Amino acid sequence: MRYDVAVVGAGIAGPIIARNLARAGYDVLMIDKKAEIGSPKRCGEGINIGIFEKYDIPYDRRFINREIYGAKLYSPSGYELELRYKEVSGVIIERKVFDKMLAFYAARAGADVWPRTEATGLIRKGGRIAGIRAKHEGEPVEIEADIIVAADGVESMVARWAGINTYAPPHEFDSAYEYEMLIEGYDPDLIHLWFGNEVAPRGYVWVFPKDEDRANVGIGINSDNPQTAKYYLDKWLRENGIPARKLLEINVGAVPVGGFVKELVKDNVLVVGDAARQVNPMHGGGMAEAMEAATIASRWMIKALEEEDMSLLKNYTREWWEKDGKRLEKVLKVRRVTEKLTDEDLDLFIQILSGADAEKIAGGNYGEVIKALLKHPKVLLSPRRIKLLKELL
Amino acid sequence: MVEKVKIVMDEDRCYLCGGCAGMCPTLAINVGPKWEFFLDRCISCKICVTACPVGALKAVPLEGES
Ligand SMILES: Cc1cc2nc3c(=O)[nH]c(=O)nc-3n(C[C@H](O)[C@H](O)[C@H](O)COP(=O)(O)OP(=O)(O)OC[C@H]3O[C@@H](n4cnc5c(N)ncnc54)[C@H](O)[C@@H]3O)c2cc1C
Ligand code: SF4
Ligand code: SF4
Repeated sequence: MRYDVAVVGAGIAGPIIARNLARAGYDVLMIDKKAEIGSPKRCGEGINIGIFEKYDIPYDRRFINREIYGAKLYSPSGYELELRYKEVSGVIIERKVFDKMLAFYAARAGADVWPRTEATGLIRKGGRIAGIRAKHEGEPVEIEADIIVAADGVESMVARWAGINTYAPPHEFDSAYEYEMLIEGYDPDLIHLWFGNEVAPRGYVWVFPKDEDRANVGIGINSDNPQTAKYYLDKWLRENGIPARKLLEINVGAVPVGGFVKELVKDNVLVVGDAARQVNPMHGGGMAEAMEAATIASRWMIKALEEEDMSLLKNYTREWWEKDGKRLEKVLKVRRVTEKLTDEDLDLFIQILSGADAEKIAGGNYGEVIKALLKHPKVLLSPRRIKLLKELL
Repeated sequence: MVEKVKIVMDEDRCYLCGGCAGMCPTLAINVGPKWEFFLDRCISCKICVTACPVGALKAVPLEGES
């Protein structure tokens, strides 16, 4: 069978591309190895409110669990920093429904969608990549396509088969473990984040409320840590006296937190989303990043198909790096600095910020945050701390 | 010299999340509906063993081989 575009992966990036290309009138097939698109989830399900308008996604109550008004940060010794907004700042979605609806929008726009279909290799003809081999319920299928999209998540093979180097060292990934569970005592209008080298090495523990008494409670730690993510999450729950007896789901996954893929295109193959390591290296959120990359990729795919010139696809690499790549490289720099913070630093910084001009900080004025920290005597007396903070400016 | 190992997965613990496959430098693990290991590609770096969020992987020495 033949399509203009074959998309591997129906997570976030895949369906956005499939929808955009189908809308532009092209024949698109999207496959996913999962039998049920969206399930199981590998996600805390938190996302910024702005994405719905930006990426033309309906604000459909069927996948909005809860609207969130800000965040609360906790230091190792218990200092707190609350950032509360008057307006909804984010939502906790239901990935099972969200991913499926994104695939539905793609299908409604004209794309074909097949679950339980695993890409197993590439078809090469006369020195070029002519399509993908897949397996549907055990039956081999050959899908020929002009363009192939590797939206196959953190475990991506498609891009690597095509010769795109997506390797990143283990330190550039987080290992994550999460319970969706009943939990009480945390303001359900905020997301909650706990930091500390004993709490969550390099990462954090999160509580993302889906209800007043239900939340995704998870952790991300550096993947090269000798202990497992599960070990640290269970330890945190135990030490905080939080009973983990009413569990609705257990979610496991790896999150790229650096190692953005340099060349995002090889001939007629593009890589997007987690497969391209396009994730925010500070907080490990990758849904918005996948949407952004998918949007840029879609534009160049449409142009390449219109003009029948596949060399135009390369512009996706250039445009992504100019826009989101540059921004994420800066975030990666911040991640590398925060990795060096001791528990005392974390305590001190959160303590200082909770006394500083909350509005400026809540406004996300990054420069103001660093300035507020640099003014404090305990920072001024520590050349090491000054050096760390200056690296952030 | 790195000690040659093979990677063994504990089915009762694995969630098929694909993390190990994504981090393996040599495509020696594939995670589809099931977890698969390809000994001939493995370079015994044990990245996967450390990375698994639940500790489902073990490196077992390959005895009698050099
Ligand atoms: C525990 C955890 C918590 C997270 N929390 C958040 C959060 O709160 N907010 C946020 O924004 N991000 C979060 N992330 C990251 C976020 O989940 C990802 O960045 C996002 O899903 C990336 O979208 P994607 O489309 O690139 O890949 P995915 O959503 O992973 O989709 C890839 C799809 O490809 C399919 N696939 C893979 N290989 C094949 C194959 N060979 N053949 C067919 N199909 C294949 C998979 O089945 C999958 O459905 C979290 C990640 C983890 C692990
Ligand atoms: S990382 Fe662990 S849980 Fe995930 S697929 Fe590999 S062995 Fe299974
Ligand atoms: S030991 Fe290294 S090469 Fe072998 S499967 Fe694990 S990650 Fe891959």
